[in-house]
Amino acid sequence: MDQLKMIGRELAMGSQGGFGQSKEFLDLIKSIGETRSKAEEDRIVLREIETLKTRLGNPNTPKFKLKEYLVRLLYVEMLGHDASFGYIYAVKMTHDENLLFKRTGYLAVTLFLNEDHDLIILIVNTIQKDLRSDNYLVVCAALNAACRLINEETIPAVLPQVVELLGHHKEAVRKKAVMALYRFHQRAPGSVSHLVSNFRKRLCDNDPGVMGATLCPLFDLITIDVNSYKDLVISFVNILKQVAERRLPRSYDYRHMPAPFIQIKLLKILGLLGNGDKKASEHMYTIVGDIMRKFDSTSNIGNAVLYECICCVSSIHPNPKLLETAADAISKFLKSDSHNLRYLGIDALGRLTKINPEIAEQHQLAVIDCLEDLDDTLKRKTFELLYKMTKSSNVEVIVNCMVDYMININDNHFKTEIASRCVELAEQFAPSNQWFIQTMNKVFEHAGDLVNAKVAHNLMRLIAEGFGEDDNIVDSQLRSSAVESYTRIIGEPILPSAFLQVICWVLGEYGTADGKYSASYISGKLCDVAEALSTDEIVKAYAVTALGKIYSFEIAAGRKVNLLPECESLIEELLASHSTDLQQRAYELRALIGLDAHVVANLMPMDASCEDIEIDKGLSFLDGYIQQAIENGAQPYVSESERLGMSNISNFKSQEQHEFLTHSLRFEAYELPKPSMTPQVPPVLASPTELFPVSVPYYHTEVNYSTTPVPSISSAGSSELQLRLDGVQKKWGHPSYFSPTSSTLNSDAAKIQNGSTKPDSVGSANSEARHVSYDSRKPQVEISPEKQKLAASLFGGASKSDRRQSSSSQKVPKNNSHAAYKSHVEKTATSDTGAQKTSQPPSDLLDLGETTGTSILPSLDPFKQLEGVLDQTQDPTSLNTGGFSGTDAPDIMSLYVDTSLRDQGNSTANLLSTVNDSSSLLSGFSDATNRTGHGGNTVAQLTQKLSEGPNHKDSLEKDATVRQMGVTPSGQNPNLFKDLLG
Amino acid sequence: MGIRFILMVNKQGQTRLAQYYEYLTLEERRALEGEIVRKCLARNEQQCSFVEHRNYKIVYRRYASLFFLVGVDNEENELAILEFIHLLVETMDRHFGNVCELDIMFHLEKAHFMLEEMVMNGCIVETSKANILSPIQLMDKAS
Repeated sequence: MDQLKMIGRELAMGSQGGFGQSKEFLDLIKSIGETRSKAEEDRIVLREIETLKTRLGNPNTPKFKLKEYLVRLLYVEMLGHDASFGYIYAVKMTHDENLLFKRTGYLAVTLFLNEDHDLIILIVNTIQKDLRSDNYLVVCAALNAACRLINEETIPAVLPQVVELLGHHKEAVRKKAVMALYRFHQRAPGSVSHLVSNFRKRLCDNDPGVMGATLCPLFDLITIDVNSYKDLVISFVNILKQVAERRLPRSYDYRHMPAPFIQIKLLKILGLLGNGDKKASEHMYTIVGDIMRKFDSTSNIGNAVLYECICCVSSIHPNPKLLETAADAISKFLKSDSHNLRYLGIDALGRLTKINPEIAEQHQLAVIDCLEDLDDTLKRKTFELLYKMTKSSNVEVIVNCMVDYMININDNHFKTEIASRCVELAEQFAPSNQWFIQTMNKVFEHAGDLVNAKVAHNLMRLIAEGFGEDDNIVDSQLRSSAVESYTRIIGEPILPSAFLQVICWVLGEYGTADGKYSASYISGKLCDVAEALSTDEIVKAYAVTALGKIYSFEIAAGRKVNLLPECESLIEELLASHSTDLQQRAYELRALIGLDAHVVANLMPMDASCEDIEIDKGLSFLDGYIQQAIENGAQPYVSESERLGMSNISNFKSQEQHEFLTHSLRFEAYELPKPSMTPQVPPVLASPTELFPVSVPYYHTEVNYSTTPVPSISSAGSSELQLRLDGVQKKWGHPSYFSPTSSTLNSDAAKIQNGSTKPDSVGSANSEARHVSYDSRKPQVEISPEKQKLAASLFGGASKSDRRQSSSSQKVPKNNSHAAYKSHVEKTATSDTGAQKTSQPPSDLLDLGETTGTSILPSLDPFKQLEGVLDQTQDPTSLNTGGFSGTDAPDIMSLYVDTSLRDQGNSTANLLSTVNDSSSLLSGFSDATNRTGHGGNTVAQLTQKLSEGPNHKDSLEKDATVRQMGVTPSGQNPNLFKDLLG
Repeated sequence: MGIRFILMVNKQGQTRLAQYYEYLTLEERRALEGEIVRKCLARNEQQCSFVEHRNYKIVYRRYASLFFLVGVDNEENELAILEFIHLLVETMDRHFGNVCELDIMFHLEKAHFMLEEMVMNGCIVETSKANILSPIQLMDKAS
């Protein structure tokens, strides 16, 4: 061993100087290099860890050895093993005087630690010291580390020095100081906001390296706030000009291009600054045009700059000449053999089609080629392009392509992405109900568990709501087709849970609605689902609730219900389920079946999942009952705040007791209230002793008290007695209860959606000519008719397919296609509404699917605004009642503790009326309950009026609650309505 | 932040250099490296040098037995990154002279120093080979 060390030292002193390595190190690296398996590598590393543990601890290790150990430690961690035992030695090494050791120490620390590691605090001091060093290389090393390790808390410790270094005489230091400041700005924009102007100053730095680095923070700053940097447009243009004219040192050249990386960054910035700004864009045209003309197509970097030019051109205010040049460049890209260039071409095409949709048509066959390419990256990029150019005329082809692709990929990340895009496109552009349902079925079948749960809720809402207009026939057709396809699909052996939930819900809600299927048929299917999925409780819950709906519709219709034997056994099984939610639902179902038709009809109104519901959270319908109770000598409710206020003025002793009470259970009877407090006790009070035994029946009455709006009456004594009720009201007022404030997508909103079908204004003659020229460009390439067909359906759309054929066969006269085009216009025009025009700029004649109603709708949605006012932050997906998610059952249960019969139906309206109903059935008390007992919304509204003086926010909340409905609404698919109706 | 990580991995899938510009735990790095390498190894020469993985775009280039992989976000110009890889290799080549996998292995810290000069905070800050190498040469001389 000693010998080895000797050799190592000798080697270290050898020719390589400080970078010299010991024999041991060389052997280690060699053995790592020669391993052929992961296991072998792991063995070596584990042995190395043991060695390092003993060696690093040795205080007599020479420094150059220590540096080598640190590098070995880097290997340990790079190869995937924990090297935390050695971190402290890396920290120690940063203190070293020797630059190489110091820098290695900093390197190791930046590689090992993240900015929140405990050891960072030990390094901050060193960084501070090194930033002051005379040796600029030490300063650079410290700045490197500062860039990685300084977190929000430690920024102030180094910030003054970093700012000072911005004016350092060495350009390398200035450059790194700029980057450190940039990093601080990313971490904590607030702490350096006053220093942002330094970036502007550094842009004018004499050194191109510093200027180039400054572009990074400026890019970020401009992304955040374009308008503050408009004054720099001319500077950027000038810099770009100078770079393009080769004014920079030759050392920045790469492949004979002058500083291409700086050019690219500048073009990115110009793209941001010129976006939607004609005046700023005009400054850029010349220089961008120059660069595009001069570009070098033989090198990758030349094409990279060209591509960036196209991006810039497509982002700034359009200039016809530049667009033409860009289009030419794109066609060169697309015709290239290099996949990389074709990839860029497709991407650039996607950018340019936003401005000029015709461009995509010129390259349709190239696009189809890319779509059919085996290269997954290229394919995916092409799908992105197709996604951007989807319109109602080609949505079927595109979505079908996407679904086919989705089915065949394994990567969940992309499956999810493509699935949600399919859903989005289908919702926006669906040409028919059937197609929409079928597409959704396919998406759900293959990616059901990957898509956002919201998508499932959207689908349910869509089926439930229909399309927001009065056309009931269309709605019921949609439902019928949904039910029909679901009864078919439900037999499939494996379906994703989310899809089954949708199926169960739809079958429950509409399975028997059109009379095509009998209740026993549907319920049989539902039982099958519940039984087949013994582990999936959510689906089971959906199925049971759906069964409940089916049977209640039957009962309400006056038909006699015969439970299927399998249904009986399912209920039996669930009554003993471990899941309280399932148990609850099973009990409810059983109770529901036992009720008479009139009650059931109120509990489970047909097709009422979208009805507005009013929730009387003040429980004012109990007022009468409470009044009665008070008259009979019960104590009125005292709100918590007042009780607390009371205890403050009450004497010290009772306060002590109060505290004592809150801390432990109390077993003896409560004390009598102090005589001193009696003046505060209102005269209606009966003897408080009545309340001492806290038993279940009293609990009920107290629940009612808690809702009594008589806050002025209070007593300290009762505050103690009613301790148990603390938080009852509060609990009821819990956000999760009030969460169903999200909105129904009302017809108003639905009317504002923008149109999806705008006529294509491409002249047929024009395109014919282009088509010919395309053919002439590639005369030798034989294009299969299949491809042409695909291209035609993708790019031409339904209305243009005639034209496509005419141009290829050259026989059909022009007016023919013109007529087709016209008819398309008429067709689409009828589906347009006036509102559409406001939301879509008239200049955008060529519908390219990019402008959708989604961005417009939310701003107009009054409920969204309402939600904003209420400042409620719940997740809309959790808004549903039991019918949709079994998980919020506990909430509701806490609401209606004394209600053994609870409706898990589709809406809170049902819930409310169930409670009222059941309470009147069970205990038959109070006229108030009777009033609301058979209540639909009107009764709830009435009772609401009875509740006294709600504050502003309360009333808003209530208003929002009114919008609550069974399915989560969101304004994501406005166009569907239009398309389906049109 | 454009560049999220830079990896050098040989064709056996062994990591030779790893620099992350955002924090990932050891396990996350291990998993990520494995997945990416498998993906890139499965591709042929004609296919794009870009692969999408999770929310990264990976730009990769192969030199003999060594893959250079750069993970970038969506904003980045892929072709420019591809050329950046080449610039990195050229720079190393200038320093080591005919750089090979073993050079990087034996001088891991130097390779890192070069990267530190070229990329800071996920941005390309220096592309002049002379500027990149001068601090390293100075350090060599000093020690």
